[in-house]
Amino acid sequence: MKRFLQHHELARDSRFIRQNAITDAMAQLPDDVDTVVQAFENLDPLIAAGVKGGPLEPLYEAYGPGFGLTILNEPLRPDEPFSELRLRVRMHGIFMGELQALEGAGRTLWDFPDAPWEFKMNMARQCWDEARHVQIFEKLLDHCGGQVGEFPENTFLFEAACADDPVLRVAGVNRALEGLACDVFRDMINYAEKKGDEVMRQAVDYVLADELTHVRFGSEWVREFTRDDPQRFEAAKAFQRQVDKRFSVGGTRSGRTDAVIPIAVQDRREAGFSAEEIEELYEISAEGPSRATLRKAAEILRQRHLARRAGESAA
Amino acid sequence: MSARRYPGISPDERTGFTPYSAFDVPQDLREFGGRYDVEAMARRVRNFRYAEEWSMMTMAGWIATVPEVPVKTGLGKIVWEAAQAADALGKRLPELRAGRNLQVASESPNQGFADFVHAVAAPEEPEETIEKIAGMFGVLKPHLLAVYEENARHTDQITDAPTIELLEDIARRTRRHIAWGEEVLDHLCDTDAKRERRRRREAELRALLAQSGGVTGEGA
Repeated sequence: MKRFLQHHELARDSRFIRQNAITDAMAQLPDDVDTVVQAFENLDPLIAAGVKGGPLEPLYEAYGPGFGLTILNEPLRPDEPFSELRLRVRMHGIFMGELQALEGAGRTLWDFPDAPWEFKMNMARQCWDEARHVQIFEKLLDHCGGQVGEFPENTFLFEAACADDPVLRVAGVNRALEGLACDVFRDMINYAEKKGDEVMRQAVDYVLADELTHVRFGSEWVREFTRDDPQRFEAAKAFQRQVDKRFSVGGTRSGRTDAVIPIAVQDRREAGFSAEEIEELYEISAEGPSRATLRKAAEILRQRHLARRAGESAA
Repeated sequence: MSARRYPGISPDERTGFTPYSAFDVPQDLREFGGRYDVEAMARRVRNFRYAEEWSMMTMAGWIATVPEVPVKTGLGKIVWEAAQAADALGKRLPELRAGRNLQVASESPNQGFADFVHAVAAPEEPEETIEKIAGMFGVLKPHLLAVYEENARHTDQITDAPTIELLEDIARRTRRHIAWGEEVLDHLCDTDAKRERRRRREAELRALLAQSGGVTGEGA
């Protein structure tokens, strides 16, 4: 078996479809309404083709190509329109993330056969944890009325697990992505509490506990691998920053007061993030567009879409 | 004056307690006479660790290459259990006077067994789940189980009891892994052609395994 698999080589059964372009575009957006609108206008044909006949088509018809901004940029509240659908979209995204995290931890074991034994033990444990998380989120998806494969998968989590240096993998996956997972899961727990869904609250609470352990693995191994090697330490930090920025999805996850997914400061502290690192994350994640910008862009996109639809029916 | 509770030096200073052998209560019929001395067992433990460590890394690598989600998650758990087995075997080594460095604790008995392990790990395509699972769960793990059971039976039951406990624990989990693999294969091999693929793969690997002399190099 070869080493160093690329993201497009991940094996999937026939239920899954893959789409990376939209999330890639989202991660690059500046805080400017016109640019955001233009980016989504450009992606419109791709988005329309991607949702046709699927569960997201009603959202596309209601909001136009910027429906993703609504899904990502508005907090999940049980009583809001499309909240069940939006919950399923998020749950499915988490399921895919857990699947790729399982695959990433597994590949790290295979790609670095000479790594320290304790590192291998940590990665092996992570394989089991991520495998349980896949099972948990498949069950939760079912619990929410969703099913595996109903939404497209993007593989940008696994891309962070493709680096050829193990320290970059733990910096990118364990510290940046598992850190992001802490933020997302805390938000999911809050949602479940508001909804009175004890099944979801308890399941996600256990997953969050595992994620803190994985972040700790990351913190310990970044320290260990870069001991007496400041250059490698800087490379790890830079890679973590890059992944953190990409996963802040244009400011959706940030420390801003209007953030949809706030940074889970307390959980991150427990997982070993320093105050300085959390401060840095605030800066990185604040670089994307604000919620006001995205709301305005979403409204323009919606009106243009409805006008186009009205024109089509008039013609 | 009360009877002595602690012995002194002279015969009249002995205690009055009834004498028992260390094996009288409960009655222990075990006798000395294991097949392996300390050095031989340490070598075998290094060989077992090699097999567990490589099976762990192989299954971990396969997770991304199999399309069946339950196979991915099933392998995830078995990866952790194989890692725990390798870890426990490594921790037995210093107790057998064989060093503390876990980095060098794994050792293939010969090149033939290393080649066999790499042959088990070779399938990488998504269409090859049958070949992957048949090699690992139809050939390697059943072989390891047989050798663990044989070693636990034939090593000295008294002096090497910690190795026996360890092997029995690993064997218990290995039996469960084999049962899981069997179930997966029964599900996947739903046509004669697929059953033939499984049979052919297992036969090829069994031949390689026999040539190598197995995990200890002393005969499969």
